[in-house]
Amino acid sequence: MTRAGLWPYILRRLLWAPLVLFLVSLIAFALGRFGPGDPVRVLAGQHRDPEVIEEIRRERGLDENFFVQYGRYMAGVLHGDLGTSFRYQGLPVWEVIKPRLWVTFQYNLVALVLVFALGIPAGVWAALHQGSWRDPFVIGLLLAFAAIPVLVMVPVLQFVFALKLRWLPVGGWEPRELFGFLELGILSKNIVIPLLALTLPGLAGVARLVRAQVLEVLGEDYVRTARAKGLDEFVVVTRHVLRNALLPVATLMGFALVGLLSGSIFLETLLGIPGIGSYAVEAVNARDYDGIMALVLLTGAAFVVANLVVDVLYAFIDPRVRLGAEAHA
Amino acid sequence: MVIRPGTRPLVLLAALLLAALAACGRGGSPETPPAGAPPPGRQSGELRLFGADPVTLDPAVATEVASAGYIVEIFSGLVTFDRDLRIVPDIAERWEVSPDGRTYTFYLRRGVIFSDGSRQVTARDFKYSLERALDRRTGSTVALSYLGDIVGAREFRGGRANEVTGIQVVDDFTLRITIDAPKSYFLAKLTYPVAFVVKREQVEANPRGWTRQPIGTGPFRLREWRLGERIVLEPNPHYYLEPRPSLSRVTFLLAGGSPLTSYENGEVDIAPVGLNDIERVRDPRDPLNREFQQVDELSTFYVGFNVRKAPLDDPRIRQALAMAIDKQALASVVLRDLVRPANGILPPGMPGYNSNLQGLPFDPQQARQLLDQAGGPSRLAGLTLLTSGVGGTPGPIIDAIVAMWEQNLGVRIEVRLLDFGTFLTEVDRGNFDLFSLGWIADYVDPENFLDILFHSGSENNHTGYANPEVDRLLEQARVEQDQGRRMSLYQQAEQIIVRDAPWIPLYHSRDSFVVKPYVRGYTGTPFVVPHLRYVTLQR
Repeated sequence: MTRAGLWPYILRRLLWAPLVLFLVSLIAFALGRFGPGDPVRVLAGQHRDPEVIEEIRRERGLDENFFVQYGRYMAGVLHGDLGTSFRYQGLPVWEVIKPRLWVTFQYNLVALVLVFALGIPAGVWAALHQGSWRDPFVIGLLLAFAAIPVLVMVPVLQFVFALKLRWLPVGGWEPRELFGFLELGILSKNIVIPLLALTLPGLAGVARLVRAQVLEVLGEDYVRTARAKGLDEFVVVTRHVLRNALLPVATLMGFALVGLLSGSIFLETLLGIPGIGSYAVEAVNARDYDGIMALVLLTGAAFVVANLVVDVLYAFIDPRVRLGAEAHA
Repeated sequence: MVIRPGTRPLVLLAALLLAALAACGRGGSPETPPAGAPPPGRQSGELRLFGADPVTLDPAVATEVASAGYIVEIFSGLVTFDRDLRIVPDIAERWEVSPDGRTYTFYLRRGVIFSDGSRQVTARDFKYSLERALDRRTGSTVALSYLGDIVGAREFRGGRANEVTGIQVVDDFTLRITIDAPKSYFLAKLTYPVAFVVKREQVEANPRGWTRQPIGTGPFRLREWRLGERIVLEPNPHYYLEPRPSLSRVTFLLAGGSPLTSYENGEVDIAPVGLNDIERVRDPRDPLNREFQQVDELSTFYVGFNVRKAPLDDPRIRQALAMAIDKQALASVVLRDLVRPANGILPPGMPGYNSNLQGLPFDPQQARQLLDQAGGPSRLAGLTLLTSGVGGTPGPIIDAIVAMWEQNLGVRIEVRLLDFGTFLTEVDRGNFDLFSLGWIADYVDPENFLDILFHSGSENNHTGYANPEVDRLLEQARVEQDQGRRMSLYQQAEQIIVRDAPWIPLYHSRDSFVVKPYVRGYTGTPFVVPHLRYVTLQR
């Protein structure tokens, strides 16, 4: 396998990314401007002062042609200006979103690590116990978690751990400062319920994939050879089985990364976490045009990047993907 | 993370969660705070409650209750309402009204210092602040409603004058405001944030960003505002009225969550009670029952008719629709007494509220007769009710009303659900047959309901209602100096309006909440007035 084929492939994929983002931004912008609702009217409330409403619309450029508005907004974005919020009157969108991104990123990262740190051993364990009751029990259990919607899971967790056992707060976000500049909300007990609600349903996906991969690898000749050599079973599993079984799991991680930036609307709203998900609800309700655009662009970019990472990983792992792409090009 | 919908018994779950929790490596230890001490993680003297994120902390621009609630604690003006809704001195120590009722002379308290300790507030600060609010470039949609009575305000607003002639600085501590007619409710308008004083140097140095760390004169000052997360107020050391704040800190949690559950778990000291919990909280056996309070709010929710076009220009049809609605059932069955049924326009607690008002009774039989006289149910075919709904649905009230019309009159009214912004735009343009909305007092005077909503010349008269008799009464009431006579004029106008039925008044809302017993002096208020400085904690 040469590396020569890999770089052109990555380059081709990279060229698609701006086009995808351009289309996403254009559609989102058009939906906002041509869809129902008007942020200025929402702000003004019931007191009517048509003159000032017009003044605000003029100042914010809302009276201009759609393409002029779009062009101006995107030019701003390319210069690092995500626009101005209506919901938080006059504040730059970036100032509104930045702390929320950090919040969402933190707890999702921990959840992501937990999902893989617990899901992989669970999958391996299940695979090694294929044929006994343990395998279907573990997988069934995890599937049960995955089947509980967050709208049910969260209140139950709150009821059990906060109201009955009194171990945990029912939610909220209590950041602590570390080294004088790093603000972490994941160090407080408030974060346990959100983490459970995020991790438990995610385990099944990882565990099942790992289980299937491990079972496949266990049937390979080289595993039989390793066992025949008299190697310790632990060494067989860690050195020979896992190394080969985990490659596809890495690609799953790519998509899980999207969650780091997009947040969960239900989870954040129910638990009072000031992240991107709860802002999305607010922004849509207030028709916070620039805020909505920023969220769409961020999530879109995260998705494009995740896709890219996954594709590249696949190409790296499996040269056939790259060759196929070249054949079609 | 992938989260899939589905269901599963809960018992199994609880047991399994324990295992998962242990795996997380952070199983907390149970702890009960010792009596007399604040709960863990909290400062002593800290009050915690849920709040909503303000749109802005600029008093000139704020239009909604969420922002006003913080602004009245951080800023202050010439006059204010006390907790009994009387107008009392604030920065103005006293004032005089000229015999013709048009000139107000305010004598400012000396030694009122801005919360940054920098300097004294003078009459010039008020002139600056009021003119800034009226300046079109400030973008205040409410300034004209509150300050438009001041002589010269409209010329200044329109760019035809470079100052508001009716606002005169007599000396450092004397301010004279002249209004266009002897309107006795003008003073009440000055209690609103739009008339509060701001610090010119701060605003001009950073016109867009100054509200993130505003300098005011109110009982509290902003310690921290983390967007979407929390607002923390601390006492303003330079505050000038007694009692000064006793709380060391007030923390508003802005990120939402589960208020009543947090309250039960001791994480907040006050929590609102909604429809889902009201039954439980009312139960005398429930521990929360003793901590439950309700306060009437100065608001009226209603269905409005477009009286400009047929068939709703016919008062008999409007009366028929009104008399087919069982408001008592709406209030007690649908909204479980979270509200009071409305008879008239003015809410209880508003000066001029008339408990003897002759409302339109619930009388399906007479309603049918009226409708038959007016041409029968077929005349109502195809009518639509506009609503902005509740959480993406028309909400229980609208569902119930539509069902009552169908049951009692045999008419089917379509419901059209719109987002709030579009809804308001359609109502502004008169693009509706019926609409449902609420009105909450801006200041405590019947003018704020009757004149603003029903005078034929008012911008906020959405229904298009025009009755010369009512106009005459309202105009007389504007300038009537005798308060008794003035209230009686409003009551006469209200009686006619209720009979003409451009509105079906449905209910008046009530603030329903639970308060921990150690929180003293916290009373709900009928609308936004500064009240946190009266609160003390006695653990």
